[in-house]
Amino acid sequence: MNGADAVYKVTNGSASMPARAGIGLRGPHMAEIAATRPAIGWLEVHTENYIESGPGLRRLEAIRRDYPVSLHGVGLSLGSAEGLDASHLAALAALAARIEPGLVSEHLSWSVTGGVYLNDLLPLPYTEESLEVVCWNVDRVQQALGRAILVENPSAYLRFRHSPISEPEFLSALAQRTGCGILCDVNNIYVTAVNFGFDPAAYVDALPPAAIGEIHLAGHFRTERRDKTLLIDDHGDRVVSPVWELYERALRRFGRVPTLIEWDKRLPELPVLLDEAARADAVAQTALGEGAHARAA
Amino acid sequence: MLGLPELQASFARALLGFGDDAISDAIAEDGLSRELRLDIYRNTVLVSLTDALAATFPVVCRLVDERFFRYAAAEFIRAHPPERPCLSAYGEGFAHFLAAFPACRELVYLPDMARLEWLMHRAAHAQDAAPISPAALGGLAEAEMPRLVLELDPSLGLVSSPWPIDRIWRANRCGADGAERIDLSSGGARLEVRRVADEILLGTLDPGRFAFRAELQRGSTLARAAEAALAADSGFDLTRALADLFREGAVVAIGLAPPEDLRS
Repeated sequence: MNGADAVYKVTNGSASMPARAGIGLRGPHMAEIAATRPAIGWLEVHTENYIESGPGLRRLEAIRRDYPVSLHGVGLSLGSAEGLDASHLAALAALAARIEPGLVSEHLSWSVTGGVYLNDLLPLPYTEESLEVVCWNVDRVQQALGRAILVENPSAYLRFRHSPISEPEFLSALAQRTGCGILCDVNNIYVTAVNFGFDPAAYVDALPPAAIGEIHLAGHFRTERRDKTLLIDDHGDRVVSPVWELYERALRRFGRVPTLIEWDKRLPELPVLLDEAARADAVAQTALGEGAHARAA
Repeated sequence: MLGLPELQASFARALLGFGDDAISDAIAEDGLSRELRLDIYRNTVLVSLTDALAATFPVVCRLVDERFFRYAAAEFIRAHPPERPCLSAYGEGFAHFLAAFPACRELVYLPDMARLEWLMHRAAHAQDAAPISPAALGGLAEAEMPRLVLELDPSLGLVSSPWPIDRIWRANRCGADGAERIDLSSGGARLEVRRVADEILLGTLDPGRFAFRAELQRGSTLARAAEAALAADSGFDLTRALADLFREGAVVAIGLAPPEDLRS
């Protein structure tokens, strides 16, 4: 199954997705977006919020008529050694058939073991065993959907003693073996880099540009544990300066791809999200020039 | 060195509060204790699931106060973690858990309140289903009517309680001042929850109608439902009860049970 020749091409999935900024669509903003139709490139939703909700799905379908939509999952658990939940995968495929998303993405993490769902993006040891598990699961998703998905680097607060492959190497190998794309979360790179003391720029430089299908930007918060600074990725604030700088570096390396402003905790009024998205577009224009080639558009 | 299946099983045990040395040994310290690193994940899991339960059971949360609710929720989460990644489906067993939870034994109506709030939550998320007209019954022969089965609106939920949980709910829902005193001995309630035009409606049913709708929802035939309704209320009027269901738009499909089902 994990052949060297990728069957799916990332860019196929992004055909309807503009290479500009979008925002995460959250419940409290839905009515305002439907009523005012702000000039935003696209919207991303959490897949799981629409899988078992009749009214939610109906509202999403209405918004989908006006905007390209990306389905971003948090519950598929691509890193589960026991494989994927068949009914959840079938529900994702049914939702994708209805919404016709421009992109479908998930995380390089796990949340299910022994049939229990832990509702967090838990870390994987980066080993050949884990790579085989994730490749197998990504293959299965891509077969069920008939398209390539994007896999996102998570924020991390612990590492395993035995984890011989670096995260960007792991993602590169995953993309090469399965044909999936990479969702580069620049804030997550920064959070993890501060938490473990590595250079976030070197991480960006180690990712394969051709596989990058989307970028995420978000805020985080800073906390102290036993005199050690830890960054916690809570999507609860504006994007910080070092992350904007890292975003510029990523754009110069990857070209312009759809970029998402994510906000979950302490959700502000819609204009704040639109303002962050406008800033992301402005940063991209400055970094790449006005008529920058939009790779995935 | 743990294989991935063992590592994940051990990690999950550690997150749900059952100490596990195997996972601790697998974690790199990186200048901070392993326990503190695990705590970050443990905290995210517990807080996010507790918040989800508090959003589904706001009146239960208010009745027991938030600190107690968070304690009870944590115990529930450890004993009954979610089995699926859709949080809107999480919490069905909470009422049952509260009924057996010694710390809230004195709040006798609490499990029924949790049942009511669960039905409201499910009604809010239920699939849309278009009601059918009573004209659909026109094709049935008189002799087939006892075998009729009705599929009810998926948002419709029924709960009965020996306590006045509807009045307690109204006095403690979001926006109420919670000051009203309710006499617990003032009588029980037979309640129906439904979503109509994206609003959650809470209504009361008489004993006959409650039994009738509960049987139909279970998939019983019209004959069986009428029998249960008559047992609950000797004055039960089947023709009117059936017409009311259609008039309220609560029937979304009809079918016929095989003849042998009539005996059961």
